[in-house]
Amino acid sequence: MGPITMILLVLLIGAIITLLTNSTAQARGVAILSSFLALGISIWMYMTYELDPVTHYAFEEAGTWMPSIGIGYHVGVDGISLPMVMLSTIVCALCAIYAWSEGKRPNQFFALLLLMDLTLIGVFVSLDFFMFYVFWELTLLPMFFLIGIWGGPRKDYSAIKFLIYTHIASVLMMLGIFALYYFHGASTGVYTFDIPTLVEAYRTGALPITRFWLDFIFLTIMFGFMVKMPSVPFHTWLPDAHVEAPTIGSIILAGVLLKMGGYGLFRVLLPMLSTASTYFIYIIALFGLVSILYSPFAALAQKDIKKLVAFSSIGHMGFISLGVAASVLAGMEPARVVAHTGAMFQMFSHGIITCVLFGCCGVIEHHTHTRIIDDLGGLTKKMPKFAILMVAGFFASLGLPLCSGFVAEFGILSGSYHTMPIFVILAAISIPFTAGYHLWAVQRTLWGPFNEYLGDISEIKWYEFASLAVWVVIFVVLGVYPEPVIGMMQDTAHYFLTSGDILPIGGIIP
Amino acid sequence: MMDPTLTTIDFRHYAHWIVLLPMIGFLLELFIGKYTWRKGGLFANLSIFGSMVISFGCLYNVYVQHLGFWEYSWDWFYPGLVAGFTVDPLSLAMLCMVSFVSFFIHFYAIGYMAHDPAKNVYFAETALFTGSMFGLVLANNLLQLFIFWEMVGVCSYLLIGFWWHKPEAAAAGKKAWMSCAVGDCLFLLGIAMMYTIMVKQGITTEIISFNNIFQNLEHLSHETIFGMSALTIICVLFMCGVLGKSAGFPLHVWIPDAMEGPTTVSALIHAATMVTAGVYLIARAFPIFLAAPHALAVVAFLGAFTALYASTLGLVVNDLKRIFAYSTISQLGYMIAVLGCGAVLGVASVAYALFHLVAHAFFKALLFLSSGSVLHGINNIRDIKEMGGLLKGMPWTGYAMLFGALALVAFPFTAGYYSKDRIIEEAYLYATAHHPGELGYLPWIFLVLGVILTATYTFRAWYLAMTGEPRSHPAVHPHECGFWMKTTLVVLSFFAIFLGIITGGGKAFWHFLEETFVEETHTAGGIVYHGLDLHEIAELGGNHLLEHGVVHHIPAAVIYLPLLLMIAGLGIATSVYYRNRVDVSRYVSKDNPLYQILWNKYYLDYLFKDILAEKIIMTVFTFWDVLDRYVIDGVVNLLSWITIRAGDVSRKVQTGVVQNYAAAVIFGVSLLMILVIMIRGGM
Repeated sequence: MGPITMILLVLLIGAIITLLTNSTAQARGVAILSSFLALGISIWMYMTYELDPVTHYAFEEAGTWMPSIGIGYHVGVDGISLPMVMLSTIVCALCAIYAWSEGKRPNQFFALLLLMDLTLIGVFVSLDFFMFYVFWELTLLPMFFLIGIWGGPRKDYSAIKFLIYTHIASVLMMLGIFALYYFHGASTGVYTFDIPTLVEAYRTGALPITRFWLDFIFLTIMFGFMVKMPSVPFHTWLPDAHVEAPTIGSIILAGVLLKMGGYGLFRVLLPMLSTASTYFIYIIALFGLVSILYSPFAALAQKDIKKLVAFSSIGHMGFISLGVAASVLAGMEPARVVAHTGAMFQMFSHGIITCVLFGCCGVIEHHTHTRIIDDLGGLTKKMPKFAILMVAGFFASLGLPLCSGFVAEFGILSGSYHTMPIFVILAAISIPFTAGYHLWAVQRTLWGPFNEYLGDISEIKWYEFASLAVWVVIFVVLGVYPEPVIGMMQDTAHYFLTSGDILPIGGIIP
Repeated sequence: MMDPTLTTIDFRHYAHWIVLLPMIGFLLELFIGKYTWRKGGLFANLSIFGSMVISFGCLYNVYVQHLGFWEYSWDWFYPGLVAGFTVDPLSLAMLCMVSFVSFFIHFYAIGYMAHDPAKNVYFAETALFTGSMFGLVLANNLLQLFIFWEMVGVCSYLLIGFWWHKPEAAAAGKKAWMSCAVGDCLFLLGIAMMYTIMVKQGITTEIISFNNIFQNLEHLSHETIFGMSALTIICVLFMCGVLGKSAGFPLHVWIPDAMEGPTTVSALIHAATMVTAGVYLIARAFPIFLAAPHALAVVAFLGAFTALYASTLGLVVNDLKRIFAYSTISQLGYMIAVLGCGAVLGVASVAYALFHLVAHAFFKALLFLSSGSVLHGINNIRDIKEMGGLLKGMPWTGYAMLFGALALVAFPFTAGYYSKDRIIEEAYLYATAHHPGELGYLPWIFLVLGVILTATYTFRAWYLAMTGEPRSHPAVHPHECGFWMKTTLVVLSFFAIFLGIITGGGKAFWHFLEETFVEETHTAGGIVYHGLDLHEIAELGGNHLLEHGVVHHIPAAVIYLPLLLMIAGLGIATSVYYRNRVDVSRYVSKDNPLYQILWNKYYLDYLFKDILAEKIIMTVFTFWDVLDRYVIDGVVNLLSWITIRAGDVSRKVQTGVVQNYAAAVIFGVSLLMILVIMIRGGM
């Protein structure tokens, strides 16, 4: 049994045991134990990570599951997925600490947290489309229980919206996957859901199908990922879901769940781009740019600090699309590798930074019982320790150097300039606006005279402080020295962009 | 083997510790500073002192021992991007100045911030501020320079808003950041462009390191962006960054508001760190500007215009610190203008700019610290209309401020006399050499006019604050500052007065600085960057340098004009504000349109804040929200409404969302299974 299966089993068993406990202390004890065990295994994977020279995956496990219809148990990691697995385990383990005092149905709460982690890791390690899709759908279940039971007053509305959005997207994606499966099976006689096989067949043009079906497959799968990322204009489910979700739900939603869309972009769409119609690159780049430009404007209009943070995610995810599109365009190889690496690093970096932001929103909500920015003010007076963490988080989010977000965005902007200058110029223009809404939020929340109507509020709790501080340390360390994560991403990017896996496509976007 | 004397240490290899020590000081101060000596300040002072020792050690190695220029780097972030440290006259001049002035400001702050409850946080932030400035100065590449450039910005934000409970302090911090952010995003874009055109040359290591760029300028000058010379566009984008950070017109609006921070912070921002960063960037990237057609002309005109513009504003302000703030903007304009004159003067202009920068750092730190002492002594009153006669009660402070003011107005034999008058002479040379049209004289005219205004507003402030009768209750019995502050004032006064004389009228300094770029640089990796032929590089940008060593005739009238104008300005200030010969209240009124314009700072703040930020941008945001909520989301809600109405779904949805969703997920997965089995069954 390989480490990947081990992680999945640890979390599954942990979740079942947690469900059987009957107090907060027991539930969180089991949850912390199993999530840290999973974290330990992922760290061990990181330490011993070595790519197989042939398949270019590590810790690969391939077994048959339902051989009659070509469904296999195929898992493995590479420079794209291992950081995502680590992100999931880090975020989940710290969430278990952050939620230390959860009193409402603690056994279910912590069990759902572990299940959430399980399904997310499942998505990232699956190398079989069937497994991928099953995990993809399953991630929504724990999230929906989290919102449904621990959520805010308008949870029904958000839930319906989420259902329609993500479900239509998922079903469409499923049609695309199925078409790919069918065409591959029909032409070769081998029916399989194996991701590397199918993607390779699509990329090399081995499928004897018309342009229409090629584009159909691409478009449907892309739609699934774009909604999940989310990209403007498919983003409106996100702010609503965040507003209603409990803090832990928001942290996982923004920190890891959105990364599923970005991950799909790298794992599935990027190799397929060289065969799909060229205008898909333009569409992806355009979606990215629109998201980048859209989010600061929308964020500045928000009155709820959590919604403001939710909009910041949309902009940061837009950078990923931009970097991906730039990295497949013909151009100078070093610049393409930098754009590609930057986009991958943005996924990891945003996953860490956004946890701090939503964690801070949660602290504000728990301690002051409001999230409306105008009702806050001068929180530094009562919560000086919290102020340090919040300032660090917000500054990292606005792209401050020596925090990981800057490394990613610098790579994306510098690497993409050659192939899409106008896009990069427009994206750079968003930077002052992004700085603007972050500073505005910090100023209204932390500085100025203390709003006495808030009453006697208490300083941040130790478990909130501890988990947030670890996230802060991670993004600062990676901002100063990104090599530990960026190194393996670079190897994979280099492999993807130069080994013929992705053919650079001609054309320069203005 | 080992000679234990200090002179054998090659400090150049420890240059990175200049940056690291204050960073360590920052962490120690933040986490354990509260529990140490005087509840904060020890680690910051010690670490900056350590940096100062290494800085001067490097200076000794290069200036006295002639060990040569040195550079070393490590890979950072992405392939070809590095963290690197460069030790050459340019960085040394800055390092020694920053560490020395910053150390004394920290020293002063031990007294000044003695009663602040968050003293350790203050010292942590100033240590980080200074450390970031060291990182910026030592950077051998654009990426690292930009990183610390932003770090300097964030520290200034935190320090300006240090008294966060005051709404105006928080707003001032934000304003500083936003003004800089406008310039910085363009600066970042310039770096991305530079990265791109360097990669285009097939360069894979040290891609955006300065020396590497300089070596490739000839190839780079053929690159175009949107049909224009790439280098010019890049330089203009860099210049936008400079305008933000060095408070050039029109991004200077944050400087007066930044006075909301503690006075020691103002001193740090205006003398040692932050605003000098912009000037330093142009100096560091000087060969790029030289090779870019028209770039230096932009620099010269914007600099000279800023110099004059800001000094008109200084005339009407009543806030003591704001007067000095405007003088900073104006003096930075002088430095930027002379860098622009480099189109004719070559590397000499870097030397002149840097000398004025160093001299300015001493006298401006002195002016701010003495005004801090005034504030300390009279209950934080900042309005000069409420001061008066302070010289009797606080002679140390009063005379220190006088020395600073004399240096600022370029009184003969003070530091400012040697540095500023030289700049004006060079601007004249620039006008006559290659710009025979009237426009070429504009920088010179602006700079010369600035002199008389500078003398007037500086001594207006000094006379109103220090002489005459006290005009408010606290001013009657001011109390003089204590040991820490007094010591600092004495040290800085000495340099404000004698810096010019010590350096032989600046000549020693200029000769040392003129070696920058022209001499070769060795790297730890064994690469030797040969000295640049600046004449050749200038030709790339269509600039023609004057021959070095040739004495150029400047009419005596031009040489003595600044001196005469300074005396005239001094005379005006003396007769109006000391002897009270003229009653200015006739002109200083709301009915005087000129006064109105100056008082409202040419309505630039109004344009930016009230019109651009509040009217236009807020309207856009509101519109955006409506778009998001009603148009994009409206479509979604419509779809969901149709879906719910279309089938039987509505009843089920209302019974329980969660169960429904579970059903939907299972439905999706089963559908996939069924499709698959159908296909297989059909085979």
